[in-house]
Amino acid sequence: MSALAATRRTRRVRPPRPGRMLSYALVAVVLLVYLVPLLFLLNTALKSTREFYADPNGLATSPHWSNFADAWQQGDFGAYILNSVLYTLCAATLGTAVSLVVGFPVSRLYLRRPRLWNGLFVVLLFLPNSLITQFQLLLRLGLYNSQLGYILIIGASVGVGPILVAAYTRSIPRELDEAAAVDGIGYLRYLTSFVIPLAKPALATVFILQAIGVWNDIILATVLLPDRSKAPVSLGLYAFQGSYTSDWGLLAAATLIVAAPLIAAYVFLQRYLIGGVVGSVKG
Amino acid sequence: MSSSAFPFGRRLSLRLSFGAGIAVIAVFVLVPAVAVFVISFTDIRGLPGLPIDWVGLDNYARFFSAAKLDYNLNALRNTLVYAVVSTVVANVLALGIAVLFNQRLRGRTFYRAVVFMPTILGVTVIGLIWSLFFNPSAGPAATIWSWFGADSAFFGDPHLALALVIFVQIWINIGVAVVIYLAGLQAIPDELYEAAAIDGASAWQRLRMVTVPLLAPSVTANVLLSIVGSLQNYQLAYVLTGPANPATQLLSLAIYSQAFGGSTLTGASQSQGYAASISVIQFVIVGVISLLVLSYLRRREARL
Repeated sequence: MSALAATRRTRRVRPPRPGRMLSYALVAVVLLVYLVPLLFLLNTALKSTREFYADPNGLATSPHWSNFADAWQQGDFGAYILNSVLYTLCAATLGTAVSLVVGFPVSRLYLRRPRLWNGLFVVLLFLPNSLITQFQLLLRLGLYNSQLGYILIIGASVGVGPILVAAYTRSIPRELDEAAAVDGIGYLRYLTSFVIPLAKPALATVFILQAIGVWNDIILATVLLPDRSKAPVSLGLYAFQGSYTSDWGLLAAATLIVAAPLIAAYVFLQRYLIGGVVGSVKG
Repeated sequence: MSSSAFPFGRRLSLRLSFGAGIAVIAVFVLVPAVAVFVISFTDIRGLPGLPIDWVGLDNYARFFSAAKLDYNLNALRNTLVYAVVSTVVANVLALGIAVLFNQRLRGRTFYRAVVFMPTILGVTVIGLIWSLFFNPSAGPAATIWSWFGADSAFFGDPHLALALVIFVQIWINIGVAVVIYLAGLQAIPDELYEAAAIDGASAWQRLRMVTVPLLAPSVTANVLLSIVGSLQNYQLAYVLTGPANPATQLLSLAIYSQAFGGSTLTGASQSQGYAASISVIQFVIVGVISLLVLSYLRRREARL
């Protein structure tokens, strides 16, 4: 009987499959749609402008590595990347910390009117486009064209953060709170030395989701940081595109310089990230 | 739900930390969001120190005035086309891809990661990748077009620009949708497929009668996410075709160019009150559409 069940188990198809070969062929098509543009970018980055215009689709035969050095220097990407790292680390840390201190006590019902706060978390996902008023706010606070102002605005946009933290910390047993309290541990120490380590997956997701948003922001940075020396790398790349419109080898190299750290980080973080997207939809 | 006992003794540190978190959100997110409604009734401008006057509904009247109506209706039409087409096409394709990836294929985590990748690349990088691909003078798309004896300015062609921006948006959106559909598919118990197979259901019938109904909550989540996102998205159109291209003028882009003149220099003369009124109109449209879509999908879910 069990042998029969085992063969049934292996034969069971889920969902229906017309044929393995066809499936792999379709997968190949999907992957090509995603990878060809990237490979074309890489190929272009390895060509001089003359080679590119002579044969844009041909493979780069003699890699023109100097495009990367030229793009790095002419685009001043070192400075832009430093700006972006600063904004991303600060804003994502701020957003994660805010999500933690508001999400945890609400999920624990430690505050009066938990319904109100839960409602507020949902409202945060459906707000009007506030570009103008955020600009006006910073202008009036004297934080316009200031890195701090930009970090505060973009870090405070926590989105799904509080909901994710609240949903995840529900799985931490309440008895732990009580036991720690009996041992004389204060609330803030409990947050930092118990909740943070226990809720690490959720906090990592919140951090990464927000970091992606900050790293890739272009509009807020355009509006709030007119000073070119404060621009993040997304804006630097956009400006670079404006000044080297048809120098595609150089442009492609610059694009790769910006994309490479993201792709490298993605290879390591994609599990957290994909789990986080699923979690935020369920939450 | 009522509050439960706080075991940590004095509530001061709870109040302080929670209050600080809420204060950050309130000052930098909620106050600006509410202020959009308030300033939409004023003639506030981009520079401080200029007098601000109440103008009542003038900004809204201006939105529908003869001088602005064509421009705004064009932006509204583009926004709706953009949102509906990208939502529908991305969801249909994503559902197919998710069913494909959910089979026991080798390396499916890799496939999933590849499709999800645009989500992290960001609009500037994606904009450059596709500008390169659709480069009118030399590039893969130009070569393909030339096989048919055609050429095109691609993003520069007013008849094609919006379609291409939508195409790139779909390319981006599919990743998140596939991930959500895959999670939904994996939550469907195998026994149901087994039972359907025993009852003699064909592959197509199993897809239609088991997969689709049980995936309905994922469909709701995806469609809602996508429609709300694409009604408000404008960064992609901004990087691909510029802030002031009528062919790809979207409502959010109109807010941006009305408020900030479409350049990095903030125009002192720009009426940000008027731009705020567009923001409010957009908010109402997004709200109405998402509520309609949500109630329709929820009713469908119940029927399936």
